[in-house]
Amino acid sequence: MQAIKASSFHLPRLNPVALITLAAASLIGAPVAIAIFTGVIGGGGDAWLHIVSTQLLGYTMTTLAVIGLTAALILLFAVPTAWFISLNEFPGRGFFEWALILPLAAPGYVLAYAWADAADVAGPIQSALRDITGLSARDYWFPSVYSIPGLSFVMASALFPYAYLTARAAFSNLSLCTMEAARSLGASPRRLFLNVALPAARPAIFAGLALALMETAADYGAASYLGVQTLSVGIFRAWHSFSEPAVAARLAVLLILIAFGLQFIERVARGRGGIQQTATRWRTPRRQKLGPVAGWGVAIGCMMVLMLSFVIPVSRLIWVSAETGLGQGQIVRPFLNSLTLALAGSAFAFVLALTITIGARQNRFSQFIGRFAAGAGYAAPGIVLALGALFILSWTGFSVAGPAALIFLVWIYASRFTAAGAEPLNAAFSRAPASLGNAARSLGASRFQRLVRVDLPVAMSGASAAAIILFVETLKELPATLMLRPFNWDTLAVQAFAYASDERLAAATLPSLLITAAGLGPVVLLSLQLTRAGQSRAAG
Amino acid sequence: MKTIASVSFTALLVACSDGGATPAGSDDGTPSDAAVEGGVATESMEAGSNGTLNIYSARHYDSDKLMYEAFEDQTGIRVRFREAGANQLLETMRAEGENSPADLIIASDAGALWRFKDAGLTQPLPEGEFEDLIPERLVEPGRQWVGLARRIRGVAYDPERISPDQVDEWQDLADPSLEGEICVRSSTNIYNLSLMAEMIEKWGAEEAQSWANAVVANMARTPQGGDTDQVEAVAAGLCSVAITNHYYWVRMTQSGSDATREAAAATQIAFPSFGEGEGIHVNITGVAMAANAQNKDEAMEFVDYLLSADGQHRLVDETKEIPVIDDVTWPQGLGAIPEFEDSDTPLDTFGERQSEAQRIYDEAGWN
Repeated sequence: MQAIKASSFHLPRLNPVALITLAAASLIGAPVAIAIFTGVIGGGGDAWLHIVSTQLLGYTMTTLAVIGLTAALILLFAVPTAWFISLNEFPGRGFFEWALILPLAAPGYVLAYAWADAADVAGPIQSALRDITGLSARDYWFPSVYSIPGLSFVMASALFPYAYLTARAAFSNLSLCTMEAARSLGASPRRLFLNVALPAARPAIFAGLALALMETAADYGAASYLGVQTLSVGIFRAWHSFSEPAVAARLAVLLILIAFGLQFIERVARGRGGIQQTATRWRTPRRQKLGPVAGWGVAIGCMMVLMLSFVIPVSRLIWVSAETGLGQGQIVRPFLNSLTLALAGSAFAFVLALTITIGARQNRFSQFIGRFAAGAGYAAPGIVLALGALFILSWTGFSVAGPAALIFLVWIYASRFTAAGAEPLNAAFSRAPASLGNAARSLGASRFQRLVRVDLPVAMSGASAAAIILFVETLKELPATLMLRPFNWDTLAVQAFAYASDERLAAATLPSLLITAAGLGPVVLLSLQLTRAGQSRAAG
Repeated sequence: MKTIASVSFTALLVACSDGGATPAGSDDGTPSDAAVEGGVATESMEAGSNGTLNIYSARHYDSDKLMYEAFEDQTGIRVRFREAGANQLLETMRAEGENSPADLIIASDAGALWRFKDAGLTQPLPEGEFEDLIPERLVEPGRQWVGLARRIRGVAYDPERISPDQVDEWQDLADPSLEGEICVRSSTNIYNLSLMAEMIEKWGAEEAQSWANAVVANMARTPQGGDTDQVEAVAAGLCSVAITNHYYWVRMTQSGSDATREAAAATQIAFPSFGEGEGIHVNITGVAMAANAQNKDEAMEFVDYLLSADGQHRLVDETKEIPVIDDVTWPQGLGAIPEFEDSDTPLDTFGERQSEAQRIYDEAGWN
């Protein structure tokens, strides 16, 4: 931050770094910009007026309700678990420390398929309930997954690990001195948490939460499957039932505004809060052992979060898959296609994320333009970006049949997910002492030297986390892949969605499970790496 | 720099993966080894030796891929396909404009095919044998599409709570005696829209509206899930009548899951009519020629293949739709459905009355 504040905000100097950042930002922002531009100049005619007068309020309120409820559930899942895992010793702590990241591997739409099946009136949960109680299906009320709370629960399950990760990192990095000082002043654990730890960790928690909520707002797969009329679903519908891409683009503008609103709230909430990092922050406070009752209570709580968000839905899919046997469908090629696209997409997104993160260190203009573009791309649903790509394709005379579509798809992935990759890279800077850059400067290092010898190595300490998150997110991407993949190219996500929307859940389970499995490896890796980093820090 | 690196990386990926897309793919027109050795025409031709065919299909069945391969083997025409929802394919074609590579469009529901026609994305099929093979109603009057398989919208009911004469006609579902007994999916679904479109055609808008109002009053829960979910809800006892397409029910009877088969066994399938002698709701899966088709001859060969015995089998064996060619044997499980008379409503009306149908549902509060 210091480096940024030092250079006052004026017109960008045309240094190479700023130019490269600008180029990266243009690449990220172009599909969104084109889709929006088309929306604004294309006008929407009657269809737009119709939607404004009948649907707009509903779409917006539903989206806001889902975001609000998801936020509450994410905080509920992520913050207490992160707190106890970081600062206390209890049965199974070592296991939960990494296991609670696992839900990141399962896409929201896969969890939606699983819960819709498991919690349906004919599903195993309600059937068992009827068998046990002897009630008939008409005698009791049961929460429906096909609802705003149902969707929020599913999205929170899939995305709370973002907030869990940032919260855990923040709690682990709490200054030992601060904690000891508070303790010695007689602060109870509860006050320690509420008055010391939470304010200090707030910026980090909000950063993870904002990421998860933007993803929630952009979700299409789960919301459409569960029939919840969010803006994202509305965008599809405007486009499909009114055949007005321009109207879809206008709705997308609204969604992007909501996402920027989230980012704004995050910045405000971050405010001047956050602890001033000093060298002692690396020393994690010793974990306090909880008593048997409290310890097992916390363990059960962690277990419930893990069961609800991951184990139960994934087990249900495994059960359905095993029960019905394997289909005659090809699975190897879609699997390879998914991996190939995810690798290419995440590699490109990683390069862009690194560029804008480094660029943001240079001047405020680069910081602004990079964040703005990445934020817009992340907020836009994949379908809007794909729409932008289709416009470009048709102007340039390429067709989606050709390999050009693959290049566009990789581009869209990068546009969509760069923000998610930039977050861990940024976090790497916030972990590094602010004095680092100043020290380099006082030693007479040039701007370029600082970039290569200070900023780049610091950023790279967050590289594996960024790469893994990008890979997993790209692997799960659905709507853009659905639209832009070339002929004869199925991915796992596309297969799962096609089967599930065709009411063949059994056929959808295998691709769904494979996406989860393919993401699980990297997620476990990330998890172990972060856990180990925490331990070595604690030991050091 | 970064862009160039990433673009060439992608190009590499494309190059690596393209070869595997079709079985025994060879684009240069060399005949297969078998043909050279045998010196005679062989049954199995090299895919691509006789041109290429680009299919946009709204179906997602593994058996379709085998069907394309069988056609490639028979004709040497290479099939390239893109599968997505009908609306998505439509919008993709619209965005592609004249660059669209699509030759054929395959979509389920006449209402969906109508959308393609209405958007100007189709052209008349050349005259051909197919017109003699299938009933007149299944060919669009301007030959903008031709039906390949039939699908019926009916009901699955709980025989312990409901007698067959309570679901004999669609009007019966509006009867107050079925209060709290009906399970059905959302009205935005094309199957429901087409059903309503035919009701408007048969009964007029006013009667159709009061039917929709009465059915909403009889619903056991707000519309959610798909057709299969409704049948399962009947089996679970939540409601006693589920509106469903026939093949979802038939697939349930053939499911690998015991629970699903038991659920189907607990219900009966019936095809309500629009009134005495008015027929039932028979819809289609059909194929249309894309407006900018570049491979029309290959496309017609494929249409002929789809109407052959082999094509029909491969088309409906997994989906459990009903063949359009009379002497083709029906897929396993289809024997359980009741006999039926085709309706005489022109299929285009399903599309023409689509927005009116949606308005009626919206008015009735059928989400």
